[in-house]
Amino acid sequence: MEVVLHLPAVPNVELVAAKAVETLGEALGMDRNGIEAVSVALVEACLNAMEHGGSSFVVRLAGEDGVSPRMRVEVEDKGRGFDPDACPPDDSTRVHGCVSKRGWGLTLIRELMDDVQISSRPGLTRVRMWKELENAP
Amino acid sequence: MNETQINLKTTVLDDGLGLITAAGYINNEGGQAVADAASELVGGGCQSLVIDLEGTRIINSIGVSILLEIMEKIMDGDGKLAFCNLTPTIAKTFEIMGLDQYAGIFPDREAAVTSFGTDGTA
Repeated sequence: MEVVLHLPAVPNVELVAAKAVETLGEALGMDRNGIEAVSVALVEACLNAMEHGGSSFVVRLAGEDGVSPRMRVEVEDKGRGFDPDACPPDDSTRVHGCVSKRGWGLTLIRELMDDVQISSRPGLTRVRMWKELENAP
Repeated sequence: MNETQINLKTTVLDDGLGLITAAGYINNEGGQAVADAASELVGGGCQSLVIDLEGTRIINSIGVSILLEIMEKIMDGDGKLAFCNLTPTIAKTFEIMGLDQYAGIFPDREAAVTSFGTDGTA
């Protein structure tokens, strides 16, 4: 079971992807908390793709069988790319009084999902992440 | 789950405690709408606020950043901010981004309002 979305970079299009997570998650038997965690992580990945990736991007969702069945989510864009190792984890202690409160997307993705892989080079960035069907936040 | 329009309602409770109920997507627009409602309540004399997110299922980091800015303004005025009715994912997002270090998080509205006591201060 796989869902592939080719999405334009327009306001609120990330909710189309979140709706697809809801539909697929329910079909796979994922509980509500898991669906919402994947949705928020995917929204962040979509926002990054729209900010850095150009006029369109692709979202792929699939269920994976195995010892621990899970949902796989991929977001792919054709932007300039970035070095994921150069993005240090955010620290919640920096929040109060800090001028810039932005840039939490990758941290939320890593915290809300069970496994995350990021590959990036100029012209192709792919964020691939997994959430076990029975592993809510 | 994916309402693009946020629905807001503001109420002034006893003792000048402000209540905002927010249902919908808290992104840049939704977060700003909550911020505008908070400013209106503070301008009307509410020192502290409760934000009830019972109808909110999805947020993004930009929206939460705006909520952080609301929190700082409330704290600058020696007020306090409390949230209630968060989904587990929204609660975890608040924790990751540090919002829970400065704002009260409560399971329901009654608990949030009660935490302020009778004079609008926690």
